Amino acid sequence: MNTQELFETFRDAAAHPKKQLDAYLAAGEKVVLTAPVYVPEEIIHAMGLVPMGAWGADLPLARSKEYFPAFICSIMQSILELGIRGEYDGASAIVIPSLCDSLKCLGENWKYAVPTIPFIPMTYPQNRWGEVGTAFTKAGYERVIADLEKATGAKFDEEKLTASIRVYNRHNDAMRRLAAALPRHPEVTARQRSDLFKSAFFMKKETHTALVEELLGQWGEGSQAGEKVPVMTTGILCDSPALLDIFDELGLRIVADDVAAESRQYRTDTPDGLAPLDALSEKFARMGLCSVLYHPKKERLEYIAKTAKEKGAKGVIVVLTKFCDPEEFDYPLLKKACSATGLPVALVEVDRQMEDFEQARTLLEAFKVMLV
Amino acid sequence: MITLGIDIGSTTSKCVLLEDGNRIAATALVSAGIGTGGAEEAYRRVLTAAGVDEGAVARKMATGYGRKRWPAADGELSELTAHALGCHYLLPGVRTVIDIGGQDAKVISLDGQGRMSGFVMNDKCAAGTGRFLEVMAGILKVEVGELAAMAARARAPAPVSSTCTVFAESEVISQLANGAAREDVVAGICRSVAARVGALARRAGVREPVCMSGGVAANDGVRRALEEVLGVPVTTFPQAQLAGALGAALWAWQTAEHKEMT
Repeated sequence: MNTQELFETFRDAAAHPKKQLDAYLAAGEKVVLTAPVYVPEEIIHAMGLVPMGAWGADLPLARSKEYFPAFICSIMQSILELGIRGEYDGASAIVIPSLCDSLKCLGENWKYAVPTIPFIPMTYPQNRWGEVGTAFTKAGYERVIADLEKATGAKFDEEKLTASIRVYNRHNDAMRRLAAALPRHPEVTARQRSDLFKSAFFMKKETHTALVEELLGQWGEGSQAGEKVPVMTTGILCDSPALLDIFDELGLRIVADDVAAESRQYRTDTPDGLAPLDALSEKFARMGLCSVLYHPKKERLEYIAKTAKEKGAKGVIVVLTKFCDPEEFDYPLLKKACSATGLPVALVEVDRQMEDFEQARTLLEAFKVMLV
Repeated sequence: MITLGIDIGSTTSKCVLLEDGNRIAATALVSAGIGTGGAEEAYRRVLTAAGVDEGAVARKMATGYGRKRWPAADGELSELTAHALGCHYLLPGVRTVIDIGGQDAKVISLDGQGRMSGFVMNDKCAAGTGRFLEVMAGILKVEVGELAAMAARARAPAPVSSTCTVFAESEVISQLANGAAREDVVAGICRSVAARVGALARRAGVREPVCMSGGVAANDGVRRALEEVLGVPVTTFPQAQLAGALGAALWAWQTAEHKEMT
């Protein structure tokens, strides 16, 4: 495939997850949905099942409101909405981690709203370090394994998990190299950039890795040159085509991100030298720099400011999903950390139901004026 | 050189004609905004008032939510930038601009040179905007323009929620049903707007001098309530509603100058 065909492939996968799901089912494969954030996909993969991201979609919310209050994260609401509408029909289970209060509500509501797709909880500890923390995480993984075996009939095998960890570490590496290369490719639009990351949720990791590596092979060195204004994005999601088009129309170029659905999830590999489940638990212990992961020193904030500076971003755009309390708690501290290094910060509030982005356009337009 | 700025808002269209970037030649304000003929009408009026032909205008810039819908514009800029420029022109040295328009509220921080250094906008909610005042005036069966004078006559402002226009509407009705004086209710409404916008201003950081722009700046009840909430003087000026259009005209002049230099 040439570069354009590669981008079209990423776009197609990112825009049509239902098509992907149906193709897997038609091929006789069993699909397990993975809700945000940090589902141990390696386990699902090792059991011969296909993990598919379930991060919701931009759509009007109607049925999910029977289960959720109005002022709650729309990502959760849209996942449930899609479940109730039957968009995930055919999936064998959904794994929902417990890393924020809204996610806990999603899991509990899912059991009643979408009884045809079994809910599997992944209960993570916030105190995830040391013997106690990793033992707790491991117990959570063992529960997931038991529930997956029950829901799908598949069997867990430690050796297969070792192989799957290698597949995921390689994908992490490819995605990190992709993120590092993107600033040197100003021709990549914000929407194309989003497609590169979003498609990873729906494609098999081996396939996605191969395509990303092919793209990187074709790209060569690239160049920083360009008239667009470099910015860094942070948030849970930044995948709305209408919002991304505004970035492109205004000439704002994303040179780095701290978006949970994009680069944030690829920072930590599973270490070698441990039994596979212990290694996965250790990986989670080593993770951090994320709004939903407790860290006493909140090193994430300095990390964002430092990364933005290193990548040449002139400002940081916080794409805040409305009512996402972990992100909202971090925002004032993030603003302070960025201000301390002279980085302007813009806050764009988004939700999965947004039809009109004119306020975001006004805000980003003014922000760009500030940056140039 | 004559430049023009037009601010097409949700409820009004404003136009300013500027001569050599430093003299306001004419202004026009039409009570019709996006999706109406208001912009064209304001444009015609300002040309007539100044006695100049369309061809004499070197550069036209549009701002406001309707800025993309005015085909005559040579360019556009956000209303945040426009109000910052306009207020800096009207009140040199201003450090905080509170712009309350028909459908949103914005607080803009300026540095010592008049450059925008930060801003915050309200979220998608009518509370704390001109629309809130319109709804409340509608309940009280008075004109929006009468609210300031009524608030000034208040003896004991009635508490009115700043969280939500719909909640506030039922509160106002309850207050009236309980026999509260209309003036006290109006003062409560002004305080409600001030509480909402004051919180926004604190998020941006309040530095003096502080000024108000946008249509709601004409409501002295809200301005005084804002002074109480923020604890600092809040000034305004007769052209406050035109600040965005003025900023657009200034931008047109600045970019035209830049264009000539390059």
